[in-house]
Amino acid sequence: MTRNLSVELNTAIPNLQTLQASDLAAYDTVYLGAPFCLKYEGNFLTHEEDLRQAVEILRRQGKRVFLSTYAIPLTTQLDAVRKSVACGVEAGVDGVEIHNMGVARMLAREFSGLSLVAGSFANVYTDMTAAVLQEHGVRRVVPNHELPLDEINVLQQNSDLEIELLVHGKIPLGVSESCFLLGYQETTGIHCPDLCQQDFRLRREDWEMISLGKAVVSGKDMCMIEHLPALLGAGYRVFRLEGLSESVEYRSTVAQVYREAIDIAVGNRARFGDHLPDYLQRLDRVSTGFCNGYYFGLPGRFYRNGEESDLPAAV
Amino acid sequence: MPELLGPGGSVEMVQAVVDSGADTVYVGARGWSRRRADFEMTDDDVRRSIEVAHAGGVKIRMAFNTQPRSVEVPLLLRAMERYVGWGIDGAIMTDVGCIQAVHQAFPELVIHASVGCTILNLEDCFFYRDLGASQIVADVKLSPQEIQARKDAGLGTEVLIHANTCYTYLGRCWMSSHIRYDTTTAQDGKRYYLGSPNRGGLCHRSCLQEWDMTGTNGQTIPRVHMRNDVFFRVREIPSYISMGVDTLKIQGREYTVPLVSEIVRFYRDLVDAYQAAPALWRPEPWMMRLADIEAQRDAQRNRMTADLYEEAAHAFEQPIFSDAAGMAAQCEL
Repeated sequence: MTRNLSVELNTAIPNLQTLQASDLAAYDTVYLGAPFCLKYEGNFLTHEEDLRQAVEILRRQGKRVFLSTYAIPLTTQLDAVRKSVACGVEAGVDGVEIHNMGVARMLAREFSGLSLVAGSFANVYTDMTAAVLQEHGVRRVVPNHELPLDEINVLQQNSDLEIELLVHGKIPLGVSESCFLLGYQETTGIHCPDLCQQDFRLRREDWEMISLGKAVVSGKDMCMIEHLPALLGAGYRVFRLEGLSESVEYRSTVAQVYREAIDIAVGNRARFGDHLPDYLQRLDRVSTGFCNGYYFGLPGRFYRNGEESDLPAAV
Repeated sequence: MPELLGPGGSVEMVQAVVDSGADTVYVGARGWSRRRADFEMTDDDVRRSIEVAHAGGVKIRMAFNTQPRSVEVPLLLRAMERYVGWGIDGAIMTDVGCIQAVHQAFPELVIHASVGCTILNLEDCFFYRDLGASQIVADVKLSPQEIQARKDAGLGTEVLIHANTCYTYLGRCWMSSHIRYDTTTAQDGKRYYLGSPNRGGLCHRSCLQEWDMTGTNGQTIPRVHMRNDVFFRVREIPSYISMGVDTLKIQGREYTVPLVSEIVRFYRDLVDAYQAAPALWRPEPWMMRLADIEAQRDAQRNRMTADLYEEAAHAFEQPIFSDAAGMAAQCEL
């Protein structure tokens, strides 16, 4: 089956070790680096030689490459951001993901013409915010994950920016200046930077989330596979399969399923429903539960399962 | 001399804050500020609050620090036009696009970039200054050096001196709406949010629950908590004054009027005492006086947290935390 080249599947890879172990065949674009914590094991944001190698590897595979940036930089950390971006630009990245307005301002000034992506922590809630960021070189926006689809539709209609949607994977639920897990080094006998590799789940009754140290993400996976034909019909073409803290198997399986689903949805939408149970089954094997985030105006952890559905119309 | 900024959760509280010595009071219009409706104001109350504040020689600032929908921006601008016409002295805002739009529409209005913007570095400050914000609210997690750098750069700077800190950066947390979230849309198109503090509704304080933490190695650590600290900056106030900080802010629209009145009077006395004789000022007596305020404040906050858990369980007719009553009891301790 021929891949539909107009639809982008992307993911995030934190370090060289993960990159080398991952099967990225079904992805078009890779974001490099863990934006939550500069101490993350082998983080591309602090390992320049690894970053150069990664760009080269991905280039050979024909991928587009974006470099992420630290989401919560203090003034004293801006130089590190600048250095990492300079390295990425020299290595030939296609763009840089920003989560902080100050970083956007700095990069627009110091790296003229650099394409920026406003990531999920940039808090893009309105089309007017997207327009302001466009003036700073932003070409792609990840709407804040708290936005329902009717609001994202407005963003899409009122802007010529690319809109990237998280369609599968953990949803960011918060970021802090301090690492939650560091307080448990003695109790667990595991130390930084190995601690956040342990997938520590915080559970209370039927709710769970995962502590990645400075960040908290959902315990369940956002899963929008049932709604893929509708998303494509609404004009969305850039889809994130969040794999930053996931296993190699997860990253590969999720991408293969979504790639097949896109090809079917674009090529023969009438048959999509026939394949859906298989898609869901395969995704379920690598997942710990599904949710739809905030896309349908419900609490982020809810899952509106079932068949392909109509999406809310733009208001 | 920095201004002392106090909370106005009701007209009565505005009067109390004025009487207790604040230089400025902030209030929130219903649906547009980071507090639940009980502590926000109708237009009538806003108008009365402006009159009360100005009659007492105190400035009044409107909190418009939620993340609105794109389609609500015209509503926000119309509301702002009303309040500017009635005489507000400034606005506290978060959304980047709205800050720019409001600055363009009302160039004389003083705009404060809210703590919800999570402005963490000098470039961040310049970004918001370029948009039209004349004062930047410092996140409570910032170091004195970071705040000093802002003053050295000539930026209008506001610091919180009496608040509560969450585990996450305020404005970068979605835990509450992930668990419970509901919306209603009014006839004028304004959407009201239950469960999303970023968008104007109450925060369910989900993070304050006890959690069982389990790693992939099977190790379980029971009853872990996320950090949530009081943030009282009595000892730091002299250094803030020395740095030239422009505003010292007291949070607390949700507390009772007598308590807020006592808190504002406490900080007024403290600042005045320091200004009168900096060399003689010592924190110890103030810490003792604060202890009583802290006890009252903790009792009220714990009660409110317990109520939130109970209310949340009923509001959705789905007791996610089935032991809400148990949590309530715990919070009473």
